[in-house]
Amino acid sequence: MKLGRRALLQAASAGALGTALAGALGRRALAAPGKVKRLLVFEFPDGVPNPAGGPDLWWPSGGAGALSLAPAMSPLEPHKAHLVFFRGLSMGPTDEGSHPGGAKKLLTAVDGGGGISIDRHLASTVGLSAPFPHVYLGVQAAANNASGDKFVSYPAPGTTAAPTDDPFAAYKMLFGGALPPMGAGGAAGAGGGAVVDARKKSAVAALLADLGDLSGRLGAAEKARLDLHRDALTQLDKRLTQLGTPPMGGAGGSSGGGCSAPTLKLAATDAAGLAKPEAFPAICRAQIDVMIGAMACGLTRVGVLQLSQHTSELVMSRFEGTELYTPGFDMRSHQASHYGDPGDPKFSAYVAERRWFMGELAYLLQRLSELPEDGATMRDHTLVLVCTEVCDGNTHLHRDMPFFLAGGAAGGVSTGKIVDLGGERRHGDLLATVAQALGDGATSFGAGSSGPIAGVLG
Amino acid sequence: MAKRAVLLSSLSAAIVAAACAGSGDDAPPTDATAGLSGAEIWARHCASCHGDAGQGAQGPSLRDWSSGKPALVSLITGRMPKTDPSLCRGDCPSKVADYILSAFTSAAACDASAPPPRRLRLLSRRELRATIADLLFPSAAGASECGQVTFRYTPSGAPKTVHVAGSFNGWASTIAKGGLAMAKEPTGGAWSAKTTLVPGSYPYKFVVDEQTWLQDPTATASAPDGFGGENSVLTVACGQTAALPFDPAAALPPDTRPEGYPFDVHGQARVITADSMDAYFGAAWAVAAAARAGSFSKLLGCNPADPACVSGWVESFGLRAFRRPLSAAEKTRYVALTEGQEPDAGVEVVLATMLSSPHFLYRSEAGEPAGTGYRLTPWETASALSYFLWGTMPDAELFAAAKAGDLGTRAAIEKQARRMLQSPRARDQVATIVAQWLGAEQVVTVEKSAVAYPGFSPELRRDLLAETRALASHVVFDGSHRFDELLTANYTFANARTAAHYGLTGVTGDALVKTSYPTDGSRAGVLGHASVLATTAHSDQSSPIRRGLFVRRNLLCETFGVPPPNAGGVPKVDPGATTRERFAQHTANEACAGCHKYIDTVGFGFERLDGVGAPRATENGKPIDATGDMLDVEGQGKGTHAKFTTLSELGKTLAGSVAAKACFVKQVRRFAHGALEPGTELCSVERAVAALDVAKGDVRELVVHLVTSDDFVLRRAP
Repeated sequence: MKLGRRALLQAASAGALGTALAGALGRRALAAPGKVKRLLVFEFPDGVPNPAGGPDLWWPSGGAGALSLAPAMSPLEPHKAHLVFFRGLSMGPTDEGSHPGGAKKLLTAVDGGGGISIDRHLASTVGLSAPFPHVYLGVQAAANNASGDKFVSYPAPGTTAAPTDDPFAAYKMLFGGALPPMGAGGAAGAGGGAVVDARKKSAVAALLADLGDLSGRLGAAEKARLDLHRDALTQLDKRLTQLGTPPMGGAGGSSGGGCSAPTLKLAATDAAGLAKPEAFPAICRAQIDVMIGAMACGLTRVGVLQLSQHTSELVMSRFEGTELYTPGFDMRSHQASHYGDPGDPKFSAYVAERRWFMGELAYLLQRLSELPEDGATMRDHTLVLVCTEVCDGNTHLHRDMPFFLAGGAAGGVSTGKIVDLGGERRHGDLLATVAQALGDGATSFGAGSSGPIAGVLG
Repeated sequence: MAKRAVLLSSLSAAIVAAACAGSGDDAPPTDATAGLSGAEIWARHCASCHGDAGQGAQGPSLRDWSSGKPALVSLITGRMPKTDPSLCRGDCPSKVADYILSAFTSAAACDASAPPPRRLRLLSRRELRATIADLLFPSAAGASECGQVTFRYTPSGAPKTVHVAGSFNGWASTIAKGGLAMAKEPTGGAWSAKTTLVPGSYPYKFVVDEQTWLQDPTATASAPDGFGGENSVLTVACGQTAALPFDPAAALPPDTRPEGYPFDVHGQARVITADSMDAYFGAAWAVAAAARAGSFSKLLGCNPADPACVSGWVESFGLRAFRRPLSAAEKTRYVALTEGQEPDAGVEVVLATMLSSPHFLYRSEAGEPAGTGYRLTPWETASALSYFLWGTMPDAELFAAAKAGDLGTRAAIEKQARRMLQSPRARDQVATIVAQWLGAEQVVTVEKSAVAYPGFSPELRRDLLAETRALASHVVFDGSHRFDELLTANYTFANARTAAHYGLTGVTGDALVKTSYPTDGSRAGVLGHASVLATTAHSDQSSPIRRGLFVRRNLLCETFGVPPPNAGGVPKVDPGATTRERFAQHTANEACAGCHKYIDTVGFGFERLDGVGAPRATENGKPIDATGDMLDVEGQGKGTHAKFTTLSELGKTLAGSVAAKACFVKQVRRFAHGALEPGTELCSVERAVAALDVAKGDVRELVVHLVTSDDFVLRRAP
């Protein structure tokens, strides 16, 4: 297993697969004038420091173009002109005080996760044409026998699916593996592009027929489950054709300059190795690289990166070489989030942990800003939704949620400011804003949504 | 106005009421419960915490309330619902109490009984692995007799003793020194001994009369003994993956479950979506490629180039893969996949497609019309039995029974179940059910600080899980057969490594042998298992909260909501204090005490065992106070105390309670059904509890009762 992975990664980084695939896909990247090309959700656990009457550790201050970032957000300084913040976003009163209750509402804007999440909705509309309509990657997000309510993405009302936590598996899924170029008996496209694997196409056709028989037998029972299964098979079928088709000749547009298969800066390891808290920073970087690679190559337009899970057991004090590092004392993320008094060691640890998460976001934005696209950069064509399932980590309230957007300037997203909503508005309005930024026709999203937030889309 | 309209149309009245109540100005001017019946109030304001049938969820169960109406009314008045204690006023508490007393009785539950819905059960990673081993790599399949070893020797003379000495017991030269004693079998001249070994290779010899060291003439492997002779070598490969060419489930998504469901087989929480489709598809192709690397002519038993051979194999293999005969259309569909392909490539595509087919990945409980509902077909019944009792596909005998239409009666199902319980696979499955129920499997991966617990090695973790599994199968199949022995056993199964961790003496070697716990009562059954204790602790300290919740949730099936907003969270970091001192604020603080008096008072009783289950007498130089109180063991609000100073006493209190017994029944049933029991199945749970009583606690009889119950085979339309 280890050897297989290493061999695959070496082959990929040497370009045998990567460049052939990347060249084909980069030219296929979509360009919709005036719209953001893609959504990347960046989710981190357990809220932010927002002590009542305490110092402003999270919220920025200052007017448009003159934002001043608070201590927990300092790594975002180089990108602050590309950020837009909101005051007054509420997830509603149901389950207020609950981490899982917040996670269920976070991307669905429906109590109890009773709706499809915004990422899945967009995957089924503007994202559908990409080979992977949706990519959901986790960083130890499914750790500790995770219950389903640890996941934020809802493919159907009341239904979650686990993210891919293993960057090697994610790489294999996106850049080769089950798909024809690497498949058993498939022709590897070393320089010549891949071919559609007729056997796999015929297999999927048989699977769809099997599924049809099963649906017919069950009638209304298990319909939601079988609908998801059918969507998955249909997407696989389409992907086998898309990724197996040799690149068409001629210029395919000016985008795709940044398309290349990523090189994972992570030693191949087993499941136990990937579960260690010490491995978290490297896995996080690898997943960011895989996600950006997939987006740069036009493999997907909708991605969700989930860092850890709510009520996180992640021992962040084991992150060597960071300000969090405290050998001999295990500070867990959720433990720190109940930060107590300013004198409590948990308090400073919690702020530093948020700063660490924002540092990863800064890396992500930096990478996007280095990849040219359509006369601008990928950062300008990508909308990043930054979110967490509760507001203040200590109180778990669901109001004045600390969500913000990053990037998207080429799609008309107006950044570098704080939008004061002048009272409470349901966060579905922000999700509707995101949908419209991508060219989706949604005029509201989830429960209590009254429409997109003014002043965000230029 | 528009905003409010959307809110009202999309949310239930209960939620609106809560929303309004939370926002001051919008509070309802009149009594929100006026004009509603007790049942309506229950449905809107109580059911979300206490269950639709009063069975309990976040809030405690109110079934068969025995303390009378006045006590109930006083509990409700001004205190319920917790989210808005002022909501239920006037005659509301009385109406709700009347409803609870009339509706939530056992008789009412039986009136409302309904079988489970028609459903599909997605194979878990574990089940998929075992099924693929059985289907394609049968040499690996016997490995589910995990770790169970029988030595047998037929001496030529008439020795007084024969024992086994090997690396697993430190080459004990005498029985007194820990040699594994063999017993003369009643008939024939053979001597034999059984034991449990963790995976590995073990050199050994038979020792006759504690003098003569001999090789095992039936051994299949040997190695030099260093004295010019040879030792026999036994290899234990535990778990089917050991002999599979690779783990076919490696890339599959984790088996997620809802909060409060401890097993890997939950039906609704696990779905196949686009996120995991490539992994399932890829795994099927990888398995097919591995089978192709073997020999297809051997797999098919005929020449893959012969169309008749392939067609016959599609039919026979298809039956085993789909666990039922293929329809004519399916056979045509699969044979067509081979058209235009080289023989091996054709077989490979059939194999890969079958192994990623919904008919393989899900086992069907759709049933066929019967009476007003549905009943599982004999084929579906065979799978229901095999996945519950063995964790894998049916064997030839079950298939034969299904084919003969023999699984349509209780007697026929019982006969199969009793046969299956004789198999080592059932021992293995019981071990899995118990280990998952207790969360013990997580001991292998749970994060521990190398600074705080430097000796907590991967090998020790593995052996600690094997310990829990060994105790479970021993109790159910070799011991008293009673579940309560799991909580009271004054022994466990230990090897040199785990004994050193526990501070037990006199155990050598790698083999897990039945070993007495210390007589001070500091450990009892699984309550003393480090697999449980390490999992219910933090990475560098114990956790009275987690251990208390373990007793309340896993052993008593109670449920707890999340702490209220601004609960204050975990205590201050104070390295000088004991864990108990730091957490004492939970029970001292009135806001916390409502729940934590039930949690911490139990959890404190585990404090003499540290964050990895090793014994300790002091913490930070201070003596440990490990007194506990199993408050209200039969349900919150009853006001009973059961103080204890040892885990042995706690084990006895739990073992003697109705609640722990009923919870055990629920847990086994939850595994069997892949779901938490809805209110409509409470009567079925009560019947199972009664059956366990009749059988004097014999777990095997509980299993037989569950598979011969109507709801094992009957299904309702959704």
